[in-house]
Amino acid sequence: MNAAEELKNLLPGSVVSTGLQLNKPMAVIKKEELLKAAGKAKEMGFDHLSVITGIDYKDHFEVIYNFFSYNKKQNLALKVNLDHDKPEVESLTGLWNGADWLERETFDLVGIKFIGHPNLVRILLPDGWNGHPLRKDYDMNTEQFVTIGENGDDVVSTDGTNLLRRK
Amino acid sequence: MEKGGIRVDPVTIDTTKIKITKKQPVTALDKLNDTGLISTVLSAREREGMILFSTVDQVFNWARLSSLWPVTSGLACCAIEMMAVAMAHHDIARFGMEIFRASPRQADLMFVAGTVTKRMAPRVKQLYEMMPDPKWVIAVGSCASTGGPYHESYSVLKGVDLIIPVDVYMPGCPPRPEAWIYAVIQLREKIKNQGYGAKWGLNK
Repeated sequence: MNAAEELKNLLPGSVVSTGLQLNKPMAVIKKEELLKAAGKAKEMGFDHLSVITGIDYKDHFEVIYNFFSYNKKQNLALKVNLDHDKPEVESLTGLWNGADWLERETFDLVGIKFIGHPNLVRILLPDGWNGHPLRKDYDMNTEQFVTIGENGDDVVSTDGTNLLRRK
Repeated sequence: MEKGGIRVDPVTIDTTKIKITKKQPVTALDKLNDTGLISTVLSAREREGMILFSTVDQVFNWARLSSLWPVTSGLACCAIEMMAVAMAHHDIARFGMEIFRASPRQADLMFVAGTVTKRMAPRVKQLYEMMPDPKWVIAVGSCASTGGPYHESYSVLKGVDLIIPVDVYMPGCPPRPEAWIYAVIQLREKIKNQGYGAKWGLNK
């Protein structure tokens, strides 16, 4: 029995299905029950949240949490499916402090809102950037440029004034 | 002597009877005037608004190309190759370039070593503007030259020449130290041929 099936035995109401992803145990979780399932995973010994991924499938979003247990040397992946119109899920910053920047990155590039995050602002792109670049409906035709404002902060513009040598 | 129906007398000049009336220069100003340098410069300014120094240019160009001081700035993996170029095996000190200045105010060469992201672009431009003239730029690798593998990306500038003038483009991803040294030699050739004296073939 791998870790995903073990989690399904412990929480039969929360886990939708189990399977393998890249030969590692994976469980699909109901989005309302994520905090409960993640807490149970932490009790099972998965003490490290490696990475959070967000995927745009055009009709829905998928968020994948990859955990690792240093004691058992095991991997576990939890997946949640979110509505495309309202991509919101509860934050895991209360359980793993490392989730802070991972969730900010997912918010920055995919636009998933993490409810309960202490500081949910962009981490890679500057504030004021238009759109989330890893979404399928991101506008690649309008190029955005960054200049330094008077206070030293980043200013996003589409024409590149004070930056480009020629238009 | 008939020429076209008009009679022209042959004229002979006795050169022994001509006396040189020019004064010997006494004062320093007279000596300077006697060289003709001032009148040449003034007439050149009136004629074209331009003064030509071929020999001085040559000396200046030699001095500039012999000790190019790069600014310490690396943006991506090309900077790792920059370290390899600076170390003992390839040894860029042979070109008088071993001093990577930590301040752009003391540097006259900028290696744009790596991917110029949109967010880094104004900082790169600011670094370039902080460098004193004369200054040169080498775009290292395909990223700094054209955007490279990130040309279709939302966050990468499509070539650093969009924001600052580039003298030498260096291909490679990242360029080998040999390519790096070749680009430096190309830049030295360019500096050697700077100025009107070189352009008009006077420095040869």
